[in-house]
Amino acid sequence: MFERFTDRARSVVKGAVAESRALHHDKVGTEHLLLAMLDDERESGGGVAGRVLRGAGVTADDIRARIESHVGQGPRALGTADAEALRQIGIDLEAVRRKVEEAFGEGALSRPPARPHSRGLFGFRRRRYYTGGPFSPRAKKVLELSLREAIRLKHKHIGTEHVLLGLLREGEGLGVMVLTESGVEVEDLRRKVIEELRATA
Amino acid sequence: MTQAVDLAAAASSTDPKVGLRAVLALRRLLESLETVQVDNARAQGWSWQDIAAALEVSRQAVHKKHAGRPVVRPSQEA
Repeated sequence: MFERFTDRARSVVKGAVAESRALHHDKVGTEHLLLAMLDDERESGGGVAGRVLRGAGVTADDIRARIESHVGQGPRALGTADAEALRQIGIDLEAVRRKVEEAFGEGALSRPPARPHSRGLFGFRRRRYYTGGPFSPRAKKVLELSLREAIRLKHKHIGTEHVLLGLLREGEGLGVMVLTESGVEVEDLRRKVIEELRATA
Repeated sequence: MTQAVDLAAAASSTDPKVGLRAVLALRRLLESLETVQVDNARAQGWSWQDIAAALEVSRQAVHKKHAGRPVVRPSQEA
């Protein structure tokens, strides 16, 4: 399936992995695909998807802020909401962070948290059963749907626009949630993508 | 002054949403600190038994939670 992806669409997939890492998230989700489509600095942001999204008034900064307000920086990492909550019981998170970083170096408090690993019989490290890389089930679904959108439109390649259409079709990920929050109508956006394709075809 | 009053009010908030969020944040902070300190202890050659005793938990508990994470050596340039 990936052989049909355009360079830009591949860049969206790669960019999503990078966005997830930068935010210290466990998985690559629909929201990271969306961020990658909006990234001006990467090739991924230069596609039809990026153009349509920006045209609809969506910005990477706004989307990133909304994502962070939903999940924070990582499921167990300390975000701004935590700092606020701690301040309310008289703990200055920044002061704690400063002290810890003085002693243990920058970023010491944001290291990946402890994660228990399971051991099998006799303490041998149990084999990990990979469920298909770092992508969330929804993000995988979006990539599958992008293929279907391309087929439906009788396109031979899968571009960023098809990934965006797949994201909108899937419709239930955090990507679409933050898009809706930012005031974008899903159906409206879908129409704009199709119009843009007609205009450039 | 008003800020201090606001803070005091928030600290004694009876809104569960506010109070529980503080508990969650505190737990995240605790987990982060534990990670830092256990890594440091391991890097300084402490045994799991020593660490467990200091944390007042069982050796198995601390091993299960923290073993398997790569030990972070103190950086050379520091």
